[in-house]
Amino acid sequence: MKKKKIPHYGKVKPINFRAIYEEQLYEILSRLRFPLMTVLFFTMVGVLGLMIINNKSDGKHVLNYLFHTVITFSTVGYTEGYTENIELNRLFITIFIMISFPLAYMYGLATAVNVFAQSNLQEIFRYWRMYKKMETLKGHYIICNFNEITKEVIKNLKRRKIKFIVIEPNRELEPEIRKAGIEYYVIEEPHKRGVLLGVGIEKAKGLITAFEENTQDLSVIVTARLIRPDKDTFHIFATATTEGAAEKMKLLGANEVIVPSVAIGRRITSFVLHPPTPIIKGFLESIAYGERTDIDIIEIKVDEHSDLIGKKLKDIGMRQQTGTTIVAIVREDGKMKIAPSGETIIKKGDSLIVLGHPKALKRAEEFIEEHIIEEETEKSTEGEKVG
Amino acid sequence: MINWGKVWSDFFIVLALTSNVGFIFSHDPYQLVIAISVNLIATVLKFGAKKIFSAELLATALVADLHLIPATFLYFSDIHVGLAIGLSIGAAVANVISIVLLIVEIIFEYKKAEEEEY
Repeated sequence: MKKKKIPHYGKVKPINFRAIYEEQLYEILSRLRFPLMTVLFFTMVGVLGLMIINNKSDGKHVLNYLFHTVITFSTVGYTEGYTENIELNRLFITIFIMISFPLAYMYGLATAVNVFAQSNLQEIFRYWRMYKKMETLKGHYIICNFNEITKEVIKNLKRRKIKFIVIEPNRELEPEIRKAGIEYYVIEEPHKRGVLLGVGIEKAKGLITAFEENTQDLSVIVTARLIRPDKDTFHIFATATTEGAAEKMKLLGANEVIVPSVAIGRRITSFVLHPPTPIIKGFLESIAYGERTDIDIIEIKVDEHSDLIGKKLKDIGMRQQTGTTIVAIVREDGKMKIAPSGETIIKKGDSLIVLGHPKALKRAEEFIEEHIIEEETEKSTEGEKVG
Repeated sequence: MINWGKVWSDFFIVLALTSNVGFIFSHDPYQLVIAISVNLIATVLKFGAKKIFSAELLATALVADLHLIPATFLYFSDIHVGLAIGLSIGAAVANVISIVLLIVEIIFEYKKAEEEEY
């Protein structure tokens, strides 16, 4: 037999959240087994008994007997299903009722109804549907813990229509999570490998962890990094209570760590240094914090094989074609040229800071990509020259 | 110890086949009522069983039911008795398959128990 390859994060099976609820459904079905069996058995006994007593086995009579049996043990009984041999039939039916009423009705039907009444079918179906849909997610974010910080994150991600899954270890918070209208959530410990694999960390774009305690954040970061070691393809953002802890988290694999007290202090300082004016009140900040959905700012690196290198900004026609504005150029040595003029020449290793509508920014990224000269064509032209 | 839940379900699985075969040869209405009831019970008993072949066993039982229910209608309405017999032969084939699956499962479980012992 072929030996299965053990993944780099160890031999862990992802938790299949959908299967948990499927199992609950099977559990309900299995509780129906014996009650339904009893009902079916007594139906058979009733029909066969009446067939034997009346010695009739044609379709019309058999249907009548079936009807009579069912209305008997279900205690409906408004008419008799036989017309001849009434005494003998009544004797049989009397005995039949004495046995079938407690067994088929009290036990069989009542238990079956009870199973349905007690089991929360609607809830099971809701979870099952949520987790079935969750399995198809790709490029989503995983948010660990549901608290005031992540609530704000969730609000903003929702506005941008970015998909996310919330992992919250405390079941008591579930009603609040549902009230917040969160599409996908699991009530589990997020530092378990099985849980992270279960929420599709291998297909996810990033993870946000914002626990009140650093130890919990650390364990989540380490576990997530273990499964997705590449910092460029999988981003981890976290919060820490102290700068020391933040540094440790960064060393252990977090892309960015925010210390809430430091971040708040800095923002207050920015108000002191730049008192908000009525018109541009917090404009740049609202862009930086992603609060506006109509404008955004991004950094695009110019590829070293791009044919834009050596051209003037006014000649590349990026504003006309994409509707975005280059507000700054970051040179290879890290120096920033703010508000570059049309005469500025793009150099090797430059990064462009571009401002515009999110859709226009996407066009700008494509625009820069289109200008990359593919290496193969370069080689073939070189080859021709040699030839 | 004998697992009585297993005795019940195995009993009805085998009885489903035997009663069905009985009807095929006797063409008797009593036998048909017994066959369809036993087949329905065998189906119900397969609900929610957590075994290796539980899905396949349930599927074969449903196939047998779907053969026998129309067969009963056809037989008692006296239109196509020949077709009813044909359908019950189909149901018998499904019963045979479920018994084969049952045997395979028993072997699997026996092997597993043996492995656990060592």
